Amino acid sequence: MEELFFLQNEVAPALWKGLLVSCRLIVPSALFGLVIGVFVGVLRVFGNPFVSALANTYVALFRGFPLVVQLFIWYFGLPHIGIYFSPYGASVIAFSLCSGAYHSEYVRGALLSIKKGQMLAAQALGFSKIQMIWSVVLPQAFRRALPGCGNEIVYLIKYSSLAYMITCIELTGQGKIIASETFKYTEIFMIVGAVYLVLTSLAAWGLHHLESRFRLPGFQHYGL
Amino acid sequence: MMNEKKIILQVEKLTKRYGDKEVLKDASFSIREGELKILIGPSGGGKSTLLQCINFLVKPNAGRVFLDGREVLYSRKRDLYNYRQKVGMIFQDFNLFDHLTALGNVEIALVRVKKMSRDEARVRASAELDRVGLGDHVEKYPAQLSGGQKQRVSIARALAMDPEVMLLDEPTSALDPELISEVLAVIRDLRSNGMTMIMSTHQISFAGEMADEILFMENGIIVEAGPPKKLFAQAECQRTREFFMKIAEIYGESR
Repeated sequence: MEELFFLQNEVAPALWKGLLVSCRLIVPSALFGLVIGVFVGVLRVFGNPFVSALANTYVALFRGFPLVVQLFIWYFGLPHIGIYFSPYGASVIAFSLCSGAYHSEYVRGALLSIKKGQMLAAQALGFSKIQMIWSVVLPQAFRRALPGCGNEIVYLIKYSSLAYMITCIELTGQGKIIASETFKYTEIFMIVGAVYLVLTSLAAWGLHHLESRFRLPGFQHYGL
Repeated sequence: MMNEKKIILQVEKLTKRYGDKEVLKDASFSIREGELKILIGPSGGGKSTLLQCINFLVKPNAGRVFLDGREVLYSRKRDLYNYRQKVGMIFQDFNLFDHLTALGNVEIALVRVKKMSRDEARVRASAELDRVGLGDHVEKYPAQLSGGQKQRVSIARALAMDPEVMLLDEPTSALDPELISEVLAVIRDLRSNGMTMIMSTHQISFAGEMADEILFMENGIIVEAGPPKKLFAQAECQRTREFFMKIAEIYGESR
């Protein structure tokens, strides 16, 4: 009985508060990450050599640095040169840029899978390069990239837990605080883990629906 | 009589090199309104390169192209995009946009390039699909169409832009024998409606029947040009005679 009160009065409100912060981290980071990923992916494939080299460097850096290190740089490092971010701001920036680097790889793969003939056809009709990318290449590449990008969003949900390392107290952070106060590490972190499981399952379900919604003849996956 | 029609397109000494290899050498010819010129010759002879150089999908190393007497300044993007709108292109493997229906395929350039309203574009696109006999298939995606139907959609897509001249790069080569005739029928129809066309093909009997002039190409050179009767019966060049003889053997034709 005492356990139940403890859960209801102490654990649930704290984790709920953490969950809200987590959502506020995940949703914008996922959106910005996706936008950055599409943009960078397009530059890597269609940009001139200079732009594409620049985009490749971005990906190499942000995929190569451990995310925790990136968070530390944004939050602890940059103030030394006079740039200050709140813990929340630094987290969203770090997550978006890291996620964008990964997304760009999925987008790049999808862009490369579009047959060149369709691009020739678009150009022969008088499309400019940007019009061609926007109306012919991206709508198809988007469908091909969706499973990979979905995967990245599921990852993002989990690595958002790193935000507590720079004092942005989200779900994992709240869990850590209560756990150290009560020494009920197992129970608390089981609950925290289960909440992430629910979040990732919801995301997977949503992405699956998105895939079905955009499915077209010629783009479906055949069960062979 | 023919000579009174105005020259639509003129090609002057187009040359394309890949490294040391010249795949197109000094190709020159002109085409008058309503004419059909047919490029014939062995694969790899430069027919495709010539057609793709004409609308600059392949950038020529040298040479000039004139449309309605004005040189196409293809390094200016605006000019290039405007020029391409007036030159329809049909590809061997159709190159339909896979994510759009037949209607969407025809509509999209009208909306994006010609800046027509959606409704206007829809009406025009439906009309063009009707014209190539696909009125019942407008809502189908490329994956749901046969090869012949896909090629007819691509013809409708080019026609919707009101081109002054059309380039057809082996439009029937990827088709089953049974489907070839439905595409040729559409091209025949265009011809009788006065469309100016340059077409590469291996359909020798079609060429003999329909072409105003046949251009025989080999090793990137236009070896010989003339009306079909003359080329089939008494080609001046030895190599041209050999080629037509071999083709005639294969297709069992004496033409």
